[in-house]
Amino acid sequence: MQSSLYQSIYEGAYGLIAGFAMTLRHLFRRPITEPYPEFKRQLPERTRATIILTSNPDGDERCVACYLCSGVCPVNCISMQSAERSDGRRHAAWFRINFARCIFCGFCEEACPTLAIQLTPHFETSQRDILKLLYEKEDLLVNHGGKNSDYNFYHHAGVALVGDKGSHVGEEQPVDIRTLMP
Amino acid sequence: MPKLIIDDRKIEVALGVKVIDAAEQAGIMIPRFCYHPALGSVGACRMCAVKFLDGPVRGLQMSCMVEAKDGMVISSTDDEAVDFRRFVIELLMLNHPHDCPVCDEGGQCLLQDETVSGGHAMRRYMGKKRTHRDQYLGELVQHEMNRCIHCYRCKRFYQDFCGYRDFGVMGIANRTYFGRYSDGQLENPFSGNLIDLCPTGVLTDKPARFKGRRWDFQRAPSLCIQCSLGCHTIVNARYRELIRIEARYNEHINGHFICDRGRLGFAFANHPDRPRQALIHGSAVTYKDAIRTVADRLSTISQSAGPNAIACAASSRSSVETIMGLKFLAHALSWRSPGFFMDRLQQDKVSAAAGRLDPNLAISLREVEQADTILVLGADPIQEAPMLALAMRQAHRAGAKVAVLDPRPVSLPFDYEYWPMTTDNLNSALQELMRSVLSENAAESYLCENIQPLAIMLQNSQRPVIVCGTDIVNLSVITAAADLALQLQDANKCAGLFYVLPGANAYGAAIASIGSEPFSELLGSIENGEVRALLLVETDFLYHFPDQARVKSALERLELLVVMDYLPNHTMEFVGQTPATISSSVPTSALTYITLPTLTHFETQASFINQEGRLQQATPVHTSGTPLSQLTGGKHPPREFRNDIPGGGAKAAWRIFSELEAAILSSHPAMTSFHDLWSRIEQELNIDVHIENSNEIPDNLRIYSKNISSELYCELA
Repeated sequence: MQSSLYQSIYEGAYGLIAGFAMTLRHLFRRPITEPYPEFKRQLPERTRATIILTSNPDGDERCVACYLCSGVCPVNCISMQSAERSDGRRHAAWFRINFARCIFCGFCEEACPTLAIQLTPHFETSQRDILKLLYEKEDLLVNHGGKNSDYNFYHHAGVALVGDKGSHVGEEQPVDIRTLMP
Repeated sequence: MPKLIIDDRKIEVALGVKVIDAAEQAGIMIPRFCYHPALGSVGACRMCAVKFLDGPVRGLQMSCMVEAKDGMVISSTDDEAVDFRRFVIELLMLNHPHDCPVCDEGGQCLLQDETVSGGHAMRRYMGKKRTHRDQYLGELVQHEMNRCIHCYRCKRFYQDFCGYRDFGVMGIANRTYFGRYSDGQLENPFSGNLIDLCPTGVLTDKPARFKGRRWDFQRAPSLCIQCSLGCHTIVNARYRELIRIEARYNEHINGHFICDRGRLGFAFANHPDRPRQALIHGSAVTYKDAIRTVADRLSTISQSAGPNAIACAASSRSSVETIMGLKFLAHALSWRSPGFFMDRLQQDKVSAAAGRLDPNLAISLREVEQADTILVLGADPIQEAPMLALAMRQAHRAGAKVAVLDPRPVSLPFDYEYWPMTTDNLNSALQELMRSVLSENAAESYLCENIQPLAIMLQNSQRPVIVCGTDIVNLSVITAAADLALQLQDANKCAGLFYVLPGANAYGAAIASIGSEPFSELLGSIENGEVRALLLVETDFLYHFPDQARVKSALERLELLVVMDYLPNHTMEFVGQTPATISSSVPTSALTYITLPTLTHFETQASFINQEGRLQQATPVHTSGTPLSQLTGGKHPPREFRNDIPGGGAKAAWRIFSELEAAILSSHPAMTSFHDLWSRIEQELNIDVHIENSNEIPDNLRIYSKNISSELYCELA
């Protein structure tokens, strides 16, 4: 009974003194906080912030305007219009991301079958005018492959556009329909 | 009536129904690729496997190949069946390319749905994929043969159902190829249905290529207004632009399919020159100002020359709402009764056809398929009502004999007897046939020897159908066709009568045209100065009337000409010019030209009565306005905030009439809402089934009249 009373007095006093001691020690230490605009931390590569539209290794745009990103977007911030380019390729006639609405969830990147849409660590996009947060295709398009620089969707898709039929990865030569030979 | 149990659900179905359909009736959708209700079963894809637990058939069977029998106990979720279907999907996917992102079928793809629902997510087979070269199949259908899963739906539809031979199947086994022998336009006028039928993206819609995904489209059940049949469609629109039209199932009319004209004939709604702004002498004004100007001018003319100096006209492409609205307006202001036809003969012929139809005589397109003898009088089905040709082919496939009596060389996708004869001979031939039907022996002496085979054909028939055109035939042929059908009925045959009319709502126009004068007669009244003001609603006299110079000089004699249309029509173009540029002999100081844009049936609720008397309604798919692509030239949407829709100034014709009535009478108009309009239409058409919600016309509602000048009555069976 006696010892437990002494113990609780000791513990209480220790808690107070140790706490004040820590506070006192920090009064004489140099601050470790780094002020943000002057010091910018290197964020991990997969941090989810501003969205870009990447390019194929051959330099052509990757996006085929398949509407999967706009379909999966939980806040409907992506809108686009697909169209046929003069060379027969499917592309986005216009592509718009409303960053005022974007919640940087990364679903679009996950849905993208051509690895075109990617989130980057660049997060400093705030604007006073909300219309400036409306990014058009020319604002989003970059001339590099982002996280996957060597992937080209058309080498796997099987449509005769980049290379003829049968020339892509894992394809046989086109069937000759005029023969019945095995 | 076999009673069976599918997935613990008891169901009783008709005799001869396949298990796959029985399951669908019980609300269970068994996966399928090759089976289609209109094309029948072939058992090619092996996807509809189910487990038969008890009854006359046991074990794993294809549900499309087995007829429902009494006492069957079937499981579609049995482990064995589910496993089987998963492996089938995996096999079908072996050669399927990874091009869903650039495939237009993505989002509405049966293969995509069933692959996902079958649980096949990862490709295990690492071998090479078979590839095919694609073909150019014309401007309607896009070919991408790599995606094919060999269900044979396209070949069965193209060759068996439609009867065209230029598209088919080549090769064997894994190399089976569906296409033409060489590149070229598909000859089948129903080829667009391949797009709907293909369960994957081999055959896709070319005009809508890369225009968007199904889930982004505004979709609405609509009607086709390309001919008088009134086929059911689904309209897809996006960003105020019509993208594509699909077939909508209707058991009475078009079944599962529509013709290519109906599928592609929507470009008028996207026309860049569509009127979207109210104009006075070609300069833009607000709608309010235009209505006020029209009302003022009409009041002045009515006071100075009497209400009989004001005439109005609509056409057979106008909806019931427009036609009836115009009729109510003309009646309320005691104008001349509106006209809907170009000349007296056309009006009389269509009215005669509408007057002769009754519930016992009129048959639906579906009933044409069940005929055993079809007599076609002065009609060219492929040109005038394409789906009729398809229905006749189905009858022919079931063994029906078809005879075509026409002065023109008519082309149909099946074997038929062609009887070339002039329109005058057509009438006498019909008289002869009628006499032969009454007599016991078809080979009686007074029968003109030439048409004896026809008489015998009719006498041997059980379910004869008389198809009669209204374009090139004489007025007497139209009534004679009905008489012949009646006589066949008297001879204890299940005879039917099927008219082909010149417009989506020609029937509606005919029953509204009692006491009205056609344009050819109106023209005389304008020329002799009786008519001073003319309201043209969705009609283009300058284009359709043969003597254009006469119409032009007549229109210049008017004091007021108001043109309302959703199309950029020729009269509107003429009106768009300011009076100064029109060479006119009469003083034009008082002449006022006004253009008011109206709405298509894609943009407002519109009803049409088809050639059978069937009243049907199209639901609007989107709000009227300049399509985004035309507004920005394909670039991104404007970066501005605005409250109105660009180019969205048009109003439904009946609403313009209502506002005009209010402005002229300066009182509360009789029809302020769509509901008001419809209660008046119900009264006018004598529809005794009350339409609770004007958006929902009951299925199978048909409107007939004893004869065209007597009372209307409706039939709901």
